[in-house]
Amino acid sequence: MKNRLSKKDNLPLAMRVLNILVLVLVVVLMGLPMLNVLAVSLSTQAKSDSPGLVLLPTPPTFEGYTFIWKHTNLPRPFFNTVYVSVVGTVLHVLMASLAGYILCQNKLPFRKAMTTFILLTMTVPYELTMIGIYAVNRDLGLTNTYAGLILNGMVSGFSVFLMRNYFQAIPLSLAESARIDGSGEWRIFSSIYLRLSVSGLMTIGTLELIRRWNNITMTITLISDMKKWTLPVVLRYILFDQTSTSGTSYIFANAKMAAVVMTALPLVVLYFFTQSFFSSGIMIGSVKE
Amino acid sequence: MVYCLCTEGAHWRRTLHRVYTSEPGSTMNKALGRQLKKYRIFYLMFLPVAVYFIIFSYYPFLRGLIMSFQENRLLGNRPFVGLANYKFVLKDSNFLSAVTNSLIIGIWDMVLYFFFSLGFALILNELVQRTVKQTIQTIAYIPYLFSWAVIGGIWVLIFDLQGLVNQFLSIIFGTEPIFFLANPAFARPLIIAMGIWRSMGYFALLFTVAIMNIEGQLYEAARIDGASRLMQIRKIILPSLIPTMKTIIVLLSIGVLTHFDEIYVMVNPANRRLISTLLLFVYETGILNFQTGTASAGATLVMAGTLLITGLMRKFIGYDKE
Repeated sequence: MKNRLSKKDNLPLAMRVLNILVLVLVVVLMGLPMLNVLAVSLSTQAKSDSPGLVLLPTPPTFEGYTFIWKHTNLPRPFFNTVYVSVVGTVLHVLMASLAGYILCQNKLPFRKAMTTFILLTMTVPYELTMIGIYAVNRDLGLTNTYAGLILNGMVSGFSVFLMRNYFQAIPLSLAESARIDGSGEWRIFSSIYLRLSVSGLMTIGTLELIRRWNNITMTITLISDMKKWTLPVVLRYILFDQTSTSGTSYIFANAKMAAVVMTALPLVVLYFFTQSFFSSGIMIGSVKE
Repeated sequence: MVYCLCTEGAHWRRTLHRVYTSEPGSTMNKALGRQLKKYRIFYLMFLPVAVYFIIFSYYPFLRGLIMSFQENRLLGNRPFVGLANYKFVLKDSNFLSAVTNSLIIGIWDMVLYFFFSLGFALILNELVQRTVKQTIQTIAYIPYLFSWAVIGGIWVLIFDLQGLVNQFLSIIFGTEPIFFLANPAFARPLIIAMGIWRSMGYFALLFTVAIMNIEGQLYEAARIDGASRLMQIRKIILPSLIPTMKTIIVLLSIGVLTHFDEIYVMVNPANRRLISTLLLFVYETGILNFQTGTASAGATLVMAGTLLITGLMRKFIGYDKE
């Protein structure tokens, strides 16, 4: 942040021009596809299926949205996703901060062992254990249930260590004096630590909500019942498997893109509200042991 | 994000050693007992977290490992079959082509994610106007919020016969429309491009945060010595980014063999042969076709492969030497 205060030297003119050209190219490559999708989703059926580039819907219409919402019974996966993501995220934040609080007690015997216990879970990406995850969840009766989707991923090493790093910034004397005043650990945890780390909680909460909303692997591993599918899985089905959907009519491009926008937009909106937490989360999360 | 395992492990071993080697009834043990009692509440609080990790993390891992030595059966007793599943999988042509696809897609992705995001972060850093900088950063970051299914939808639209890409090609080069999505020649490039499009902004943000943390005095000193901006980038920014580069390389190398969601979304009969990766093999064999033994053996081999790749990369970049 400091280098912004001092006046920056400039590159030679030719390089500066090249620099700007590259940035324009990046903006076009990233922005145009998104704009294209949005415009097509807001176009009429006929326009979206006829040749010609659509970058501005004229006139904008919600035809595609109403079609996909009604014809493919999209409300069901939409609310499945909201339910599983929100409940799962709340539990995740609670569990991760609880574990983070315990791991920042620096006089706790076996603290290092507990840290290692959690660290080890981060060494193998969960996708690699999907067969074991499926078998265990099946034995517990969690396949094809929302509970299964919520319970798996209820806490993660990444979030635990992020919270621990936040908590370590809180002076220990604060907790000590509360203990002398007779506060219990739950009270210290909830009224001192949680209250002072709202930005940390927001960071892991947002990251977890995004992760859960977008998750495909866990959903298709645990859920075979289409009624319990989440949005991304249904979206893939709408986009690619429509030949096998019996009885439904052909889905036009505007309706397909409406489904794409409906899956993506909630997270983009969330991002603009929580943007400030992202870089702080990255900074604290990347602090090495 | 990546923690050094070895120091933690060493400490753990020392603690255990201390506990087990002390005489019963020694002051050491009594003191420990008192300590444990004092901190009882913390162990109680840790219990749900520990139970979670044991049931949903450690146990599935072990379960998969055990299943890889058992017959293909989900229910009932599964007789042990030794290394039969491993032998089978290593001769299976689907598995072998998945190894090739995974390595090609994974390595290209790793290399391109790294250089594209580093280059983008450096170029973006040269912009002086703060709002423009932040706007561009946000535009580049947004795709990282998208599910792979959303990106699949975008790809379907822009690579369509009448899509954005074909329109541009015909305007600029006058080429006939190409059906990218059904053309095997474009199968892998399209998958790799998807990954870059989604992740470049994210990894660039990691670099940008590191660039912002560089002390302003360093530039000041360089300026007094008459170093040009290009010199400053080479001698100040790039060296300061080395720790971030190492972390990102380790993160990326863990991901080399774990490409799954984008493949699951994009796979079709035309491109299957070229993009079907190891995890898609594991998913289809184990979850869809219930060949759990074969799938677990495959997954265990992927784990070993990931450990090998990560270990080699860590050694290559000197990650563990601080």
